Amino acid sequence: MNPMEDIKQTVKAYILKEFLPGENPAELVDSTPLITGGILDSIATLKLVTFVEEKYGLTLQAHEVDVEHLNTISDISRLIQSKL
Amino acid sequence: MGFSGWFDRCLRSLRTRDGGGGAIEPTCHKGLSLRQFLMLALELGLLVFVVRQFRIESSAFLRIVLLALVGFVVHSFLPLRYRLPFFLALSLTGIGVVFGITNGAWLVGIGLVLILICHLPLSFSVRVVLLLLTGSLLAGLRVGWLHVRWSPAVWPILGSMFMFRLIVYLYDLRHEKQPVSYATTLAYFFMLPNVCFPLFPVVDYKTFRRTYYDDQPFRIHQTGIDWMLRGVTHLILYRCVYQYFTLAPSEVMNLGDLARYLISTFFLYLRVSGQFHIIVGMLHLFGFHLPESHHRYYLASSFTDFWRRINIYWKDFMLKVFYYPVYFKVRAWGPNKAMMVSTLFVFVSTWFLHAYQWFWLRGSFLLAWQDVSFWIMLGLLVVINSVYEAKHGRERSLTRSSLSFHRFAAVSLRTFLTFSVICVLWSLWTSESVSAWISLWTVADQSPSFTAGTIPLFFVLGVVVSGTVREIAGNNSRNARQPGAAIGRSALISLACLALLCLLGVQEMHTQFGPKVATVINSLRSGKLSRLDNAMLERGYYEQLMQVDRFNSQLWEVYMNKPLNWLDVRGTGLEKFTGDFKQKELLPSFVAITSHGPIRPNRWGIRVQDYENQPAPGTLRVALLGASSVMGWGVQDSETFESLLEERLNRENSKGPYAKYEILNFAVPGYQPLQQVMTLENAFSFQPSAVFYVAAGREAQRCSVYLAEVIRKRIYVPYEYLREIARKARIEATMGETEAVRRLEPFGAEMLAWVYRGIVQNCRERGIVPVWVFLPTPLEDPWQEDTASLLRAAEESGFIVLNLVDVYRNHDIKALRFAEWDAHPNAQAHKLIADKLYDLLWERKKDILLSFGSGQIGQGK
Repeated sequence: MNPMEDIKQTVKAYILKEFLPGENPAELVDSTPLITGGILDSIATLKLVTFVEEKYGLTLQAHEVDVEHLNTISDISRLIQSKL
Repeated sequence: MGFSGWFDRCLRSLRTRDGGGGAIEPTCHKGLSLRQFLMLALELGLLVFVVRQFRIESSAFLRIVLLALVGFVVHSFLPLRYRLPFFLALSLTGIGVVFGITNGAWLVGIGLVLILICHLPLSFSVRVVLLLLTGSLLAGLRVGWLHVRWSPAVWPILGSMFMFRLIVYLYDLRHEKQPVSYATTLAYFFMLPNVCFPLFPVVDYKTFRRTYYDDQPFRIHQTGIDWMLRGVTHLILYRCVYQYFTLAPSEVMNLGDLARYLISTFFLYLRVSGQFHIIVGMLHLFGFHLPESHHRYYLASSFTDFWRRINIYWKDFMLKVFYYPVYFKVRAWGPNKAMMVSTLFVFVSTWFLHAYQWFWLRGSFLLAWQDVSFWIMLGLLVVINSVYEAKHGRERSLTRSSLSFHRFAAVSLRTFLTFSVICVLWSLWTSESVSAWISLWTVADQSPSFTAGTIPLFFVLGVVVSGTVREIAGNNSRNARQPGAAIGRSALISLACLALLCLLGVQEMHTQFGPKVATVINSLRSGKLSRLDNAMLERGYYEQLMQVDRFNSQLWEVYMNKPLNWLDVRGTGLEKFTGDFKQKELLPSFVAITSHGPIRPNRWGIRVQDYENQPAPGTLRVALLGASSVMGWGVQDSETFESLLEERLNRENSKGPYAKYEILNFAVPGYQPLQQVMTLENAFSFQPSAVFYVAAGREAQRCSVYLAEVIRKRIYVPYEYLREIARKARIEATMGETEAVRRLEPFGAEMLAWVYRGIVQNCRERGIVPVWVFLPTPLEDPWQEDTASLLRAAEESGFIVLNLVDVYRNHDIKALRFAEWDAHPNAQAHKLIADKLYDLLWERKKDILLSFGSGQIGQGK
């Protein structure tokens, strides 16, 4: 599995476990809108940020916590990839 | 980079076909099919008709919607690359259409200066300092330190365009790596609908750019029309609540009234959500696929949920500029502590920014304890809720959820409780004073009466039940894109709703449903002030209540355009305080120079020529009792109806039975019926042959309010009858105003009858003819809902009644009042009043003008 796919899987697994327990994993795809779709609110977003920072040993900035960077699994993975 | 390089770059970016490097790039390049275009144009045409028929918002808004319709048609045929510059041109045209060339140029010019400062080739912090300095200069101009050459109406719109969006823009400018497109920037600040909406959602700059044509055009445009329709529906519902369900705190008599008061106060927010839906919907017509501004906020099932659903753009703005930056600064303290601190910071900032917004829109500072309390309490509730959610999580789903009874009951209960608490908090926020709010709860032990007041309760229950079912059973993922078939269905539904509203908006149609329904629909077709707001507006003249319109969007808009140096009753030093029951009277031999002409009370403190205390033989003297409209507020000495009537009587009746007619104007601004009892005693000393008492409506309520006021001020009440009323109503000086007025309201009609009977009896005893004149306020559909009972009371008391109720008929009522925020009759209205009064006097001349024997005229009875 390439690193990008690996990041996507990790992020997806975390979102399913933390915010969508019991949800069919097939329903959550890379392009599912998470912030604009109401899955990630501010509390959940900050939890996800903490997870990403701890998991990948990187630091996110406040201005990166937005729809542009965190709205989909693809966006999140791209952000992580750019910081690794 | 020097200034020349920077200037060149600006020019280049404006010349390039897409508005410069970094211009928003549409991600979807599909166009509209002819069928789709025709469908959208038809819907939009119907929408414009609905806006016209229901007089949605202002006349400026109708012009902007028309402009949007024409703009949409042209825009749809333009290649994508020309659409953004076209939208910018349309927005600037809109500014010109609403403000005219000169004021529009000032607005755009000031805006350009602010935008240019953001792009100066200086360090970020220096630009911020420059912006703060410019803002301070503008603030100085806003409060009137220097005279400005543009209309006061420019300020609120200039404020709404820049006060928050400039913060967002600077924030993005600091963190954005992409170059700036000036066409996008200008479109962002001057966006079309803003010119007629001082309350405007804080559109995020990044979102504005990111969502530009990011989906199929038909889907974007149709969503826009759906939301505009939703906005119009909210505004019509708002009018329904505003006109029919709102109560003054003093009118709350039992639990049913209390529920009605709390619910209707919260439902007045429909106006803001309606406006925001229209604004965001209109932006969709030009490709800006922005998110929803409000999402079923009455169905919030927790406080965090409420914060997420109401004014979503504000929440996003606060998250971006305050919440996340603060959280990241303090997160070393631990996630929960950081979350609590940043959430509270957001709510304190929200309070401060509301005061800041008030300043730019109104030009004065607003520091009200109600605001502080509301935001702190809501902040604490959201913090507690957030901590709970952080620990236990909240229910989320990507798909339709199963609907079980247990789940339905739990969500319904949570929704009902959240709604109830928010209603209570909202009533606190919007209350006039702490005592008024506390006094609301003194009726809690009064059992509800099952009257119209309980209707809202059933309505809310119905909304909660149906809404909860929809919330649970529906896909709770917001902004989920509808499939093609669904968007087509949505278009048909919108078309049907628009057609229905069009039909209802036509008088010939709604009169088919009978007079009652037709009257209700007709009342919803006007943006007139409610009876409560008209009373509030009137209070604003006399009491100089800075916050009279603090949380009342319609009244607030009326006041927004009021110049800061507008003539006010107290500001001219016209009155002197007497210290007795009358409280005040005009200063004798004083000249108040106002911007609308001088006001010159004579040596007796009445606004007429310097007549002698005793009338000359053969003179018919009339004493006129009334308040500011009668005194002639805002018109010159020679323009009052009293002066015009007197002049005409003398001019046209020089060969009549009397040598001279004299009308002595004893009116004083703010005088209430109870004060006229004392004025009458003064008027008798001038030996009038007739007394004209001029009533302007709500007379009984004015009696209650005035007695409550003098008792609270511990002013001696010289009439045993009134002291007895105060005892019966159990009024004390320490009692809050609302509570005192509530207790006196049942005695209002009785007190008024006492005033009327007293005037008539005293006049008759002296052989003076008592005449009662009804003078309406020049307002659309005036609030004199008690006119019939007043007329009856006056007749029963023995007055000769002269009813001027139709004095303004067949005239443009707006052209007859002093100003939008001041409903005193202007010079033209005074002329109409004088003519009408003359005609009525002539009709009743036997009873009034010719009823005196020669011995009664000018002889001192």
